[in-house]
Amino acid sequence: MNKSGLVIRLAIVIVFTAVIVGLITTQIFFRFTFLNEQALGEQSIHQLYNTVSPTASIASYLDDEELAKEVVNGLISNDIVTSAAIKTDTLMVKSDNYQLSSNTLEFVLFSPFQKERRVGLLFIKENEAYLRAKANSISTTNTIVVAIEALIITIISILVTYYVITRPIINIGKALHSISPGTDERIDKPTSHQKSEIGQLVDDVNGLLDKTEQQMLREKSLRDEVQVLESRFRMLFENATSAIVLVEPQGDILLYNETFESLVEKLGLPLKKNYGNYLQDLFIMKKELHEQVQIAFANNESATAELELISYQEEQIWVQVVVTLLITDDFQENYQITLHDISKRKQQISLLDQKANYDNLTNLLNRHAAEQHLIQLTATRVPFALIMMDLNDFKPINDIFGHDAGDELLIHVSSQLMKSLRKADILSRWGGDEFVIALPHATKEEVVNVCAKLAAKLSKPHHLSQHNKSVFVTACMGVSFYPNDQVELLELIRAADKAMYFVKKEKCANKELYLAFAADDANLKKNHKAQ
Amino acid sequence: MRYFTQFFAILILTLPNVSVQAQQSEPLVVVVNKANPVDELSRSELIDLFMGKYVAFPDDSKAIPVELKGEHEIKVEFYQSLVGMSLSRVNAYWSRLHFTGRKRAAVFKPNENELIAFIISNEQAIGYVPQSLITEDLKVVYILNE
Repeated sequence: MNKSGLVIRLAIVIVFTAVIVGLITTQIFFRFTFLNEQALGEQSIHQLYNTVSPTASIASYLDDEELAKEVVNGLISNDIVTSAAIKTDTLMVKSDNYQLSSNTLEFVLFSPFQKERRVGLLFIKENEAYLRAKANSISTTNTIVVAIEALIITIISILVTYYVITRPIINIGKALHSISPGTDERIDKPTSHQKSEIGQLVDDVNGLLDKTEQQMLREKSLRDEVQVLESRFRMLFENATSAIVLVEPQGDILLYNETFESLVEKLGLPLKKNYGNYLQDLFIMKKELHEQVQIAFANNESATAELELISYQEEQIWVQVVVTLLITDDFQENYQITLHDISKRKQQISLLDQKANYDNLTNLLNRHAAEQHLIQLTATRVPFALIMMDLNDFKPINDIFGHDAGDELLIHVSSQLMKSLRKADILSRWGGDEFVIALPHATKEEVVNVCAKLAAKLSKPHHLSQHNKSVFVTACMGVSFYPNDQVELLELIRAADKAMYFVKKEKCANKELYLAFAADDANLKKNHKAQ
Repeated sequence: MRYFTQFFAILILTLPNVSVQAQQSEPLVVVVNKANPVDELSRSELIDLFMGKYVAFPDDSKAIPVELKGEHEIKVEFYQSLVGMSLSRVNAYWSRLHFTGRKRAAVFKPNENELIAFIISNEQAIGYVPQSLITEDLKVVYILNE
């Protein structure tokens, strides 16, 4: 049994109290009994005095020793008297053990005939031992009675307390101990305590359990809701096609999704905790990003930009970056940055651009693109030389060896031409075996040199591996100058074209001729004449 | 002597009013022989003599109390006025003392005249008589009923 259990404690307290109260009451009762007995004894002695006083008075009056002895002997024959004495002026009669002491009662004896005349003294000493013994015997009886009473009350108290209070409480405690909160378990109300405080306690505890269960159910459903919501958010976040990053103003990354992780991986960069403000270290054009963000934030807008990322891979990666300022609940600024990969679109656009502006076979600018470039040059009034070139003897090669061989030859020619030109020069396939070259800021001498170089390159034989045959081509070139020859682009082209045709015609007569200038009136006139 | 007694009886009977008068108004006196040296006694000394404490006068000369026999009116009156007790209580007192071996020293006389005669003839005697009966041979030492 539990040493500090309710029953043991209660029993100890009750027993202790009973013993202490019993001891105290016994002592008090003894004291009272003794005092009472003493008072009774004194009263008895007074009565004894009243009984013997006439005789004692006579004895004293007459100084009669015999009579006095009779009185004294009569007194000491009483239990409550230890000793007695009669004293007159001339006589002293006393019992054997008489001794004057403090508790001796003294009575004045008067003359039987004259009430005012003192004739002697009567001393009576009460028997204290007898009184004490009597008080003791009464007290002992009382003590036994009190002890029995205390014992009975103790036993009844313990039993009643145990059965009425302790056991129900212990049972309730045990029941409560085994109940797990939040379930539908409840404590049974003891049958004998339907309306008592203990019953009330059980009701209250059950009420509390009800509330707990409700609360826990509510919390559980709330938690489930939050969990579902969280998993959805997580799904949304993790599966977003855009990289989403939450960044502190100093650039520390708080949160990022898998897409961001794979993007960084794709860039060949290490995954770091900080890539500078707005992840700027990831971008090639940091400055532009910064400017965009400043402008947008000044207008309370999200910053949007399409920028290329730094990449250690061959593939160029372009993203649409959106930086949004978020204010948290505790008024902290954070940036939400989304990086949407637009590389594919960029690629498609550049592919389209390629298709639109370049010749499929030779990868040179096509006629349309070349015209655009030329328009650009005339619009900006940059002086340039326009060379119109046409290959000779190309058709027979095409006919003899087939189109594939023709194409191969065209590619070879294009690359040879490309090698002989500066970067700023424009080289385009004008159509069929016709090429147009524009040389900005070129003088006539320079043009002559370039053309000589071009002619030399073209005349080198090209080995057709499929046919195991070496072929070579020559070209006719007509040149016109902007703005000296013509200001209108169409006229300029026509002039170059005319010069080129002039060369082609004269070629029969002069095999060395390959170049003519539109400005050369004689040639043109000759040409006109021939026509 | 017999004649004398009869005379007295007739006297008492014929003069009841006088007698009553005498009892009412006439004080009792305590007398001794004229030759006795004692001139006066205190009440206590008188009680001590008659209640048996002492058998001597204050001057230590022997004293013989003279009593009337039986329940004489004068005797009754004497004890009533001296110690405030009825004669029966006084008798009870004496009978109690009798058992302790104490003997009474008094002399008993049947009437006043004999009592007076005894006192006159005895110097140690002391007795009580109505005041009217005082003779020259007697000396008053105490007056009761004053």
